[in-house]
Amino acid sequence: MKAIASRRTLLVLLVWAAVVLASATQILRTPFTADLSAFLPANPDAQQRVLIEQLESGLPARTLLIALEGGDARARADASRALAKALRGSGLFEQVQNGETEAFEKVGEWLFQHRYHLSPAVDAQRFTAAGLREALGETLSLLGTPAGNAVKPLLERDPTGETVRIAEALIPASAPRSEEGVWVSRQGARALLVAISKAPGADLDGQMAAIAKVREGFAAAPSAGLTLRVSGAPVFGVESRAQIEREVHWLAAAGTMLMAALLLAAFASLTALLAALLPVATGVVVGIAAVSLIFGGVHGLTLAFGTTLIGEAVDYAIYYLIQARAQGAAHWLRTGWPTIRLGLFTSVCGFAALVFSGFPGLAQLGVFSVAGLLAAALYTRFVMPQILPHGARGQGVRRQLGAWAARAVGWLPRLRWPLLALGVAAAALLAQRSELWSAQLNSLSPLSKEALELDASLRADLSAGDARTLVVVQGIDLQAALRNAEAAAARLDPLVEKGLIGGYDTVARWLPSLAVQQQRLKSLPEAAALREALAQATRGGPLSAERLAPFLAEVEQARQRAPADIPGLRATGLSPLVDALLLQRKDGSWVALLPLQPVPGPGDKLDTAAVRQALQGLEGSQVIEIGAELTRLYQRYLGEAQAQALLGALAVVALMAFTLRSARRLVAVCQPLLLSVLLTMGLLALLNVQLGILHLVGLLLVVAVGSNYALFFDMLQRGSTDAQPTDPDTLASLLLANLTTVLSFGLIALSSIPALSAIGRVVALGALLALVLSAAFAPRRSPA
Amino acid sequence: MRFDRLGPLAIALALALGLAGPARALDLATVTSLLAQRKAGEARFTEERFVTGIEGPLRASGLLSFAAPDRFTRVTTEPRAESMAVDGNALILKRSGRTRQMALDAIPEVTALIEAVRGTLTGNALTLEKHFRIKVEGSPAQWTLTLHPRDQRLATQVRELKITGMSGELRVVELWLAGGDRSVMAIEPLQAATP
Repeated sequence: MKAIASRRTLLVLLVWAAVVLASATQILRTPFTADLSAFLPANPDAQQRVLIEQLESGLPARTLLIALEGGDARARADASRALAKALRGSGLFEQVQNGETEAFEKVGEWLFQHRYHLSPAVDAQRFTAAGLREALGETLSLLGTPAGNAVKPLLERDPTGETVRIAEALIPASAPRSEEGVWVSRQGARALLVAISKAPGADLDGQMAAIAKVREGFAAAPSAGLTLRVSGAPVFGVESRAQIEREVHWLAAAGTMLMAALLLAAFASLTALLAALLPVATGVVVGIAAVSLIFGGVHGLTLAFGTTLIGEAVDYAIYYLIQARAQGAAHWLRTGWPTIRLGLFTSVCGFAALVFSGFPGLAQLGVFSVAGLLAAALYTRFVMPQILPHGARGQGVRRQLGAWAARAVGWLPRLRWPLLALGVAAAALLAQRSELWSAQLNSLSPLSKEALELDASLRADLSAGDARTLVVVQGIDLQAALRNAEAAAARLDPLVEKGLIGGYDTVARWLPSLAVQQQRLKSLPEAAALREALAQATRGGPLSAERLAPFLAEVEQARQRAPADIPGLRATGLSPLVDALLLQRKDGSWVALLPLQPVPGPGDKLDTAAVRQALQGLEGSQVIEIGAELTRLYQRYLGEAQAQALLGALAVVALMAFTLRSARRLVAVCQPLLLSVLLTMGLLALLNVQLGILHLVGLLLVVAVGSNYALFFDMLQRGSTDAQPTDPDTLASLLLANLTTVLSFGLIALSSIPALSAIGRVVALGALLALVLSAAFAPRRSPA
Repeated sequence: MRFDRLGPLAIALALALGLAGPARALDLATVTSLLAQRKAGEARFTEERFVTGIEGPLRASGLLSFAAPDRFTRVTTEPRAESMAVDGNALILKRSGRTRQMALDAIPEVTALIEAVRGTLTGNALTLEKHFRIKVEGSPAQWTLTLHPRDQRLATQVRELKITGMSGELRVVELWLAGGDRSVMAIEPLQAATP
């Protein structure tokens, strides 16, 4: 062909090939993610930052909750022990807890060795004769009681009871119920385990291996008649990734097939089919590459959503193929392209609002769509005229489609008044619904209700694992953070005494600040002084100083022992504890978390106001209520999204005003848009759908996509002046374009991922309404 | 008619025979039903603990109190102030000015020990039998319950509990620990039964 031989054609094709190749190369280097972090906000305030750091710190993301159900208590306990043993031996887990205390011998030894660094009772007074007498008295009060059995073996080495003192502080106010020596549920017949994997939370393959190991260990354990249930963030991550992968595959396959069928029906030509699909493919490739370049990775949901781009981008090709067929590429460039360009700009306005969304996930969708649409449009503008200068040859069923559309367009304006009445009714209905925007943050999560319920019940059983309220302290370095944690603890202790809170966890019990550790070591007297004080303290008492000689040696040893530090804790197997309660920020500063425990008993009381008051004036400390904080977070993002959507819609209107340059035409074009938004929302309200951020995004897209139809009718009516009636083939292209949009969004409306189906439902419905309403409210030609 | 008149007599006779006659096997239900008549009470206790390797008995004394169905406190006043309070599933310990609260069912060994006293005071036979194998001796007027822990882990710590009472009142709790240490708690009720 002559056209292909031309230098310009070659250049255009080369540029296109280069862009596609570069994009493909970028995609090959792109990590794909499917975790939920995309729906955590990107620029949180200080309180939310702590919350997100905690969510992302890895520990929750690595924690598996395991339940064994069925059988009797003994069978469950045996299976729990066997499973825990298998998991501990597998090397995949940092820690496996099932309530067996035997697993913590190493920790006990470490605590005993460091007791003079860790015991809050150690001060100078403690080792005077009077202090020793008091401490010995306290230890003696335990002897001869069942608790004394634990104390007695340590009596000679630790007569002042520092180990007891440390242990006492570590006893949690609420802990899982124990039966047959393992953790069990308070409600049902269920043994509980918690396993923390070594693989980081983001390593979903590692998490998958860990979950597989749990299932394998369960199968190998004496588990006849028992059922295994596994929950926790790793399960959610792995499952939602699998779900997203499945959905991406079938959505892409179904979308492509639907489009192909539609295009074949419309053109009855394979060449036309390929020609129409190429801009789509170009758009998808460039879109993914753009997201990858900007975000450094692509979320699975972005890909799933990308299938809707097929519906948008294919429109350009349809318009071109049909319109160039009638008039040739050169003519199309003058008449058809400006309309497409305006449509492109309005769509880009809509999607651009997403780019500025606080959720990285939505921002990705925005970037993907903007880049993809631009690429598809540019392809249509520059490449299509080179390879198919005369559009598509085939006719298919387009003639019938066009005729039908023409009849519908003639008839639809009669529905104006009923449609207006419906719009008013919808507005009235919406005005009454104050709870309309009530969807919560978890409405974004792709997890099923059952999965969330299982998770919640396991967390309730394990009680300790799920603090709803935290005190957070910060410091420019580790020591500052630890000192602040100690200061906060000193203010919390009186609240525990008064029964206003049940208790709290703090890393400082295991890792006191160096200042405190050194102060404690300094208060240990030299051997001679201690011997003298001990002799005085034991005079006339039931314990003889001779018997306590090992104590003197132990204190002397402790004076030489290096302070407790993070590597030491990790080497003892306490990494999960360190990771749960201590975070290092990217800027080098540290954060210590002090999860608060409610007062055990009905209602789980926790006096947050008292906590806030107690911490008043403590530099760098905050009280965070996770539930309230998440709600606040979501509200803020909903508000932000509403503002962005409004801006996006305004941008679309401004763009149309600029193009139309006529208030009357602008009103005529906006009328159907407003009505379709109202009717869509009204219908959703009738169906009792709770609206959230994603519905809002959908509505914005309805405005962006719907404006194309309204503009089209406006142009159509103006173009088809006088004798020239509306071209049925042009109407057919419009109907086809609408069908592709409705079908592609209709497909994602069927998705089992709530985030996708919410957008899909709104846009499929809204786009269809927008077309019908645009036809109904198209400005009437003045009668000739 | 005759039975009506003879009834009280028969019962009185049976009672007399039962009390005066040769010791019949007393069962747990009889003892706990006597105990269950008291819904609340207070008592002074004195405890002597015999610990191997420690000279002389270690002594402690204080107040016990209970209220059915599940409240029980032991407040030690001598030689050191400390207390233990159980309310339902919550255990609150106070020692040297520090308070610790914990969930009882998270520590089954402690639960069993507490039930030995709380279950006896409130006359809860079911709870007692759940945690211990029980031998009952004596008469309703003076009885002894010997408890052996069912829980393996507790059995490695506590060998035996012997609870002696008179009618509806607890008088002595003796505890033998696995290591050979022993404690004897004598109980002196402070107020009359309040049915």
